[in-house]
Amino acid sequence: MLVENSRPHLFDIYNPQTSRFYDEMFATDQTVWEHYNTLLHRFNELSPAEIEARKQIVNVFFLNQGITFTVYGADEGVERIFPFDIVPRIVPASEWDIIERGLTQRITALNLFLFDLYHEQKILRDKVVPAELVLGSKHFRREFMGVNPPLGVYIHITGSDIIRDGHGNYLVLEDNLRCPSGVSYMLENRQAMKRAFPTLFSNYRVRPIENYPQELVSILQQIAPSNPDNPSIALLTPGIYNSAYFEHSFLARQMGIELVEGRDLIVNDNKVYTRTTRGLKRIDVIYRRVDDDFLDPLVFRSDSKLGTPGLINAYRSGNVALANAIGTGVADDKVIYSFVPQIIKYYLGEDPILPNVPTYLASDPQDLVYILENLDKLVVKAANESGGYGMLVGPHATQAQRDQFAVLLKADPRNYVAQPTIALSRHPAFANDTSFTGCHIDLRPYVLYGETVKIVPGGLTRVALTPGSLVVNSSQGGGSKDTWVLFD
Amino acid sequence: MLSRVAESMFWMSRYIERAENTARFLDVNFHLLLDLDKITEVDSRTYWEPLIMVTDDRERFLTLHTDFTAQAVSDFLVFNRQNPNSVFSCIALARENARSVIETIASEMWEQINRLYHFLNTADPTILQRDPYNFYRELKNGSHLFQGITDATFSRGEAWDFVQAGRYLERADNTSRLVDVKYHLLINPNKEEIDPIDNIQWMAVLKSCSALEAFRKVYLSRIEPETVLQYLVLDRQFPRTIYFCVAMLQEALWRISGSRRRDFSTNADRLVGKLEAELNYTTIDDIYQLGLHTWLEDLQKKLARIGDQVYQTYFSYHTFQDSEDVVLAPGSRSNALSSGNVKVSRAVWSQSDSSQQQQQQQQ
Repeated sequence: MLVENSRPHLFDIYNPQTSRFYDEMFATDQTVWEHYNTLLHRFNELSPAEIEARKQIVNVFFLNQGITFTVYGADEGVERIFPFDIVPRIVPASEWDIIERGLTQRITALNLFLFDLYHEQKILRDKVVPAELVLGSKHFRREFMGVNPPLGVYIHITGSDIIRDGHGNYLVLEDNLRCPSGVSYMLENRQAMKRAFPTLFSNYRVRPIENYPQELVSILQQIAPSNPDNPSIALLTPGIYNSAYFEHSFLARQMGIELVEGRDLIVNDNKVYTRTTRGLKRIDVIYRRVDDDFLDPLVFRSDSKLGTPGLINAYRSGNVALANAIGTGVADDKVIYSFVPQIIKYYLGEDPILPNVPTYLASDPQDLVYILENLDKLVVKAANESGGYGMLVGPHATQAQRDQFAVLLKADPRNYVAQPTIALSRHPAFANDTSFTGCHIDLRPYVLYGETVKIVPGGLTRVALTPGSLVVNSSQGGGSKDTWVLFD
Repeated sequence: MLSRVAESMFWMSRYIERAENTARFLDVNFHLLLDLDKITEVDSRTYWEPLIMVTDDRERFLTLHTDFTAQAVSDFLVFNRQNPNSVFSCIALARENARSVIETIASEMWEQINRLYHFLNTADPTILQRDPYNFYRELKNGSHLFQGITDATFSRGEAWDFVQAGRYLERADNTSRLVDVKYHLLINPNKEEIDPIDNIQWMAVLKSCSALEAFRKVYLSRIEPETVLQYLVLDRQFPRTIYFCVAMLQEALWRISGSRRRDFSTNADRLVGKLEAELNYTTIDDIYQLGLHTWLEDLQKKLARIGDQVYQTYFSYHTFQDSEDVVLAPGSRSNALSSGNVKVSRAVWSQSDSSQQQQQQQQ
């Protein structure tokens, strides 16, 4: 058809601005990286309307499945789909190899660090990490000194956020050691892409990720302190009002384990049971998606109704395993983050394979001066916040916002770090219904740790769909896309 | 299964059934009045007020409206968010319960309940005046579709039995309320003959249970208070009669506990067995002897006690002090309620609060 042929290809009018940004797809403004060639041609065959139609198929799939998240503070019934972008991100085998080795190294070292902190504290005595930073952290749980988690593992499920800088180097932006969310989107995005672009998918040799639930459940089995042949495992959720409730129910269903709330559990003689219609049933392992503070009103927040009285004592007595262990938050604190390269060196004698983003500590008087003088160039983060809250993006902020942060920094320096504003790499996204836009992205692979470290080849690529925005969090207008890790 | 999951299955089912019955009452009333208008001068208020009495919400209604107009009553019973028994509230509660057991129910069940909720949530309230026929039909079909999907996709395990128990307990209660209110309104002791208007009204009562055609096959055209009553209370085959519902409730509860006749194991089983036997050997004359209203009120109390015992046996969250025997078998605890203090109207009419209050607290 003549009209069809005269239409410009969608990627012909895409402007990657490679002089300003690292583009995941385009090596220069005219040429794509080799592994994106097939994708380029396939998408160029489609009109915006055709792409929009495929996007709608995916959205209806998500809505009917109830793959939605609840927006905090919004009216009852406000549920949104986590926006999905249909241009997949492709990671070649050679790059994945770096990520996999880098994360394995990092998580191994962080786990040794946690074990040390809750036992001998050698690293503090050797002054590699300042003791006051650890002992003063609100996530350090001194009540768990000397407690031995099964296999010596504290961080069974982690999701470190990885970014690429302007030169395409992979860097770790933060470590999430407290049961990070999002893995259900990784799995569902893959399902959605297979539906929307079956041919394109089969043209690539994409490594499968569908075994994630099995890998997770086998790790949970490995850490069972009792009943090792057939442990009873439950996923503990805060309940249906939690924004990640869909993910909790999804994972419980995929793994075939019970989904429980705190009030379903009861502790007697330091053993944990579920209340069932046939009486009480012993539980051996709890994959908990509830923060430390809400697990047990007898030990942590006494006003919490989410928890189970006595749970912590059962854990301390070794009668139930928790994944992740308690007190892991001390190691994903944004201040401790800046010491991870030294932590890796200290425990493993190796240089980090994946570098950190340079970080200035407001608690260091010299750094503080530098931060205050350069607020317009830096990103300032509160040490313990997540989800993109408590953050100042200097270059995009108003003078009033910067002034406000200056006050906060001076008042509580221990609680803040600053990093140079990194021009996160960009990836074409079908963000405005008519054409492709370069949007900033990051990557969250999920690392499982039981008897060994296992990383399912893939992850959640989050994308800042608001033009120009650097914040990829779902609570702040971010979306996600499928991530294709290729075989060699 | 988890007590909380069992409770959610039970109440999900009850709330959907309640929503459907409310839609049925409204639908039939609306069409009844279309007929009556042509025959006689009627004050439509006398036909709308009883609907509020069916659900026992008179006081709440009067805090919001002054007059029992068609519009006020139907809006109160369908869309009003402050009325916990409105169709909207029931579907919203059913959906909350479904969401909390989303990994237990079939995903098709969840999708249907979700669709029904979105249908009500986005409906324009004026539809009750503009196109009530299609609106109520949509609601009833939505509920039937849910039950059909459940029937076709859900494993016949304990969870299924709790769904059945919830549905039939609710339906028995709803039918008894409908009969109670209509009978009260229609029986005029000074009147010997049944006039055509009464006849239309009794037909309407049957229709609201979808029972008119089935009734005719049994009694042909003898639509009289006695035959209608006999049918709706004691018929053994029609799935909305009180006897039928109680019998099904008994089956479901006995399957859950593994009870058999002469060998019940929980208090709920005992009470439902007793009620079934009573209904089984009751005649319409026995009921008249006691007075229909008194008899129905007593029936509702008994249903409420069964509901309460289901709660005590399976859902209530035992603490360790009283649970030594709970570990062994459900219902080995005796927890008899003195018959005097069951408040029929609401005591066991809505889900225990513990299920809802827990969750507001977020990380």
